[in-house]
Amino acid sequence: MKGYTGKILFVDLSTGRIVAEPIPDEVYESFLSGVGLGCYVLHKKIPKGADPLGPDNVLGFVSGLLTGTGSVMTGRWMAVAKSPLTGGWGDANCGGTFSPAIKRCGYDGIFFRGTSDRPVYLYVDSHKAELRDATHVWGKDAVEAEDILEEECAKKQGKPKIAVIGTSGEKQSLISGICNDHGRIAARSGLGAVMGSKKLKAVVLAGNGRITCENPELMKTISKEFTGKVRKINIPRFLSGRLLEIAANLQSRMTRVAVPDGIMAAGILKKWGTGFNNVMGVVNGDTPIKNWNGSGLDFGKSRYRNLAPDLLKQREVKRYSCYSCVVGCGGISRIEDIAEGTFRETHTPEYETVSAFGSLLLNGNLDSILYINELLNRAGMDSISAGHAVAFAIECFENGILTSEDTGGLQLAWGNTEAIVKLLKQMIHREGLGDLLADGVKAASRRIGKGSLKYAIHVGGQEPGLHDSRFDPMMGVHYCADPTPGKHTIGCFQYYNYVQLWNEVSWAPKISIYPKYEEYLASSENATKSVAISCYKQVIDGIGGCLFAMTMGVHNWNPFRMLNAATNWHKTADEYLEIGMRIQTLKQLFNIREGIDPRNNRAHPRMAGNPPLENGPLEGKSVPIHEMVALYWEHMGWHGETGIPAKETVEKLSLTDFVA
Amino acid sequence: MKVKVYAPAFASFQHLDDDSSMKLPEGATLNDVFRRLKIPLPLRPFLVYTVNYEKAGLNTPLNNGDVVSFLTPLAGG
Repeated sequence: MKGYTGKILFVDLSTGRIVAEPIPDEVYESFLSGVGLGCYVLHKKIPKGADPLGPDNVLGFVSGLLTGTGSVMTGRWMAVAKSPLTGGWGDANCGGTFSPAIKRCGYDGIFFRGTSDRPVYLYVDSHKAELRDATHVWGKDAVEAEDILEEECAKKQGKPKIAVIGTSGEKQSLISGICNDHGRIAARSGLGAVMGSKKLKAVVLAGNGRITCENPELMKTISKEFTGKVRKINIPRFLSGRLLEIAANLQSRMTRVAVPDGIMAAGILKKWGTGFNNVMGVVNGDTPIKNWNGSGLDFGKSRYRNLAPDLLKQREVKRYSCYSCVVGCGGISRIEDIAEGTFRETHTPEYETVSAFGSLLLNGNLDSILYINELLNRAGMDSISAGHAVAFAIECFENGILTSEDTGGLQLAWGNTEAIVKLLKQMIHREGLGDLLADGVKAASRRIGKGSLKYAIHVGGQEPGLHDSRFDPMMGVHYCADPTPGKHTIGCFQYYNYVQLWNEVSWAPKISIYPKYEEYLASSENATKSVAISCYKQVIDGIGGCLFAMTMGVHNWNPFRMLNAATNWHKTADEYLEIGMRIQTLKQLFNIREGIDPRNNRAHPRMAGNPPLENGPLEGKSVPIHEMVALYWEHMGWHGETGIPAKETVEKLSLTDFVA
Repeated sequence: MKVKVYAPAFASFQHLDDDSSMKLPEGATLNDVFRRLKIPLPLRPFLVYTVNYEKAGLNTPLNNGDVVSFLTPLAGG
């Protein structure tokens, strides 16, 4: 009755054997579910040195510990495997409705090893689990395949929930992800390629079991408290998106930082979704521009204002929420004016996609971005990595490293919408130059050579999120220090300030207001903040929590209280942070075991402001990222010089069994 | 009485303690908070703020323990 099922389903695609395996309570108490359970299982099941695209790799779909327990904003599921993109720990997560469906089938996670000799999908309901032929959907895009399987497996009580790869996953593009809910995507780490390598097209879930909670009344009270606040926070109609641009302008001039009440941002997410940052980020310096080598001045007001949140909102025909969400930042938007386009609608593109195919490429054509969003969602390709790959190609072309002969006649240039769309199609179909780019910028630069590496923006093989580390230096720390490098969802000063962990965690540094320049210092206090937020994020990824709920502040959305209500564990926040530290350390141990040297996860010099930009809000800014990373390692109890977890830390966290 | 104030960074923090709390006389209103924060008059119509997460006006009376929050957009998405 503790919020978890205590079981996982293990499927061997080589033999067809499917078994349920019990997971002891102690594992949940030590690792939670979600990313923690995934890490525990993968460490045990993947042999050292396994080929990420071979039969020994294990791919997991894991629900959050709090998913379905009556808690709110806890509906995310986690994909886990050894990443073919980085060669180390890989995870990605997604919202929608898939996470509770895993538990309704009676499992906390479903794991696959082996390789099928023909395309298959796994069907699971409350009574059975079986592999079925997927030849008829192999070659279909993620949305088409989901439609067909939905119809095929529909039951009286409704449609099943489906995770599926598109054609990019089938073609084992190393920047492909796994889709659910008709084009939402767990995009990062190249896990779609792992699924494709196993010839596993989809996981179809049609269970109707009950998800338990130890103290449902308390959970209801906690959820109502939060929901009540969120419902009342709204942005007045007369305030337009221009206000955000003005606020960003002000923010870029501020010399100090104050602690905000994060829940107030619920109003912004309700009104504009994540697109609120489309222009704001360009103006305040959060958004990387022109492959991290430009500013808003290069992009130009007339172009970036075409991506304004109000314009995007005009395209929206429907709003929707993920499971257990009370904010509802998702939407469906109309696509217009793309001659070659065949799609009428798409999920409203997230900020990351708008920036990856907008500011990063100096592309101010909103229609093209809506169209690209649908292309990528259907192919199942990561928009963050894909945008960086196109930016890389443009810069190579501009500098004579690539020629028209290489591009199949495409005249690649910043803001050349037509060429950008055509190149992206080459990537999706793995044709010509697109075949190289479909494996990310690191692999592409290795194959192209000719000095192209200097235009390849990545950390440890993965392209970074669209948040500039020269704007928020802690973002740069986690781009490099996280066992899954390049992720923007682990930690930054803004997250730390919004979350206000010091209200719950005894050792988290308390702040009220401080000078902005302090964020650019490699200090012990900053390292402690980095440790706190990254360990907290592991807890969030263990419960299926939403990043935006997290930023609403622990005084408003409190996962510790919710965890105790669901499990009756009576743990303190400090104890939960120790679980977070255990998960983060186990991921790092996985990387060490797989031969990853954490010192090689270095930021591209542009990401550290080396040399600094010459204009815009980030003019003259540089960040000592690697000194900050070394301090983070030290404060995590890892060796400051190597990033390897120290023996005492491994013992303290009871991880000795995981060290060879 | 004391109220908790999540003030924007451009405000004056002179009247806020380390817990971001502000001491106010009994009968104080939100307007008194604005004055102590030295929020420029022309900016006030464009700010989004709440008292205890409820919509409030400048004449909203405050009580001990109230929470005054200003909207500060998170960069992100």
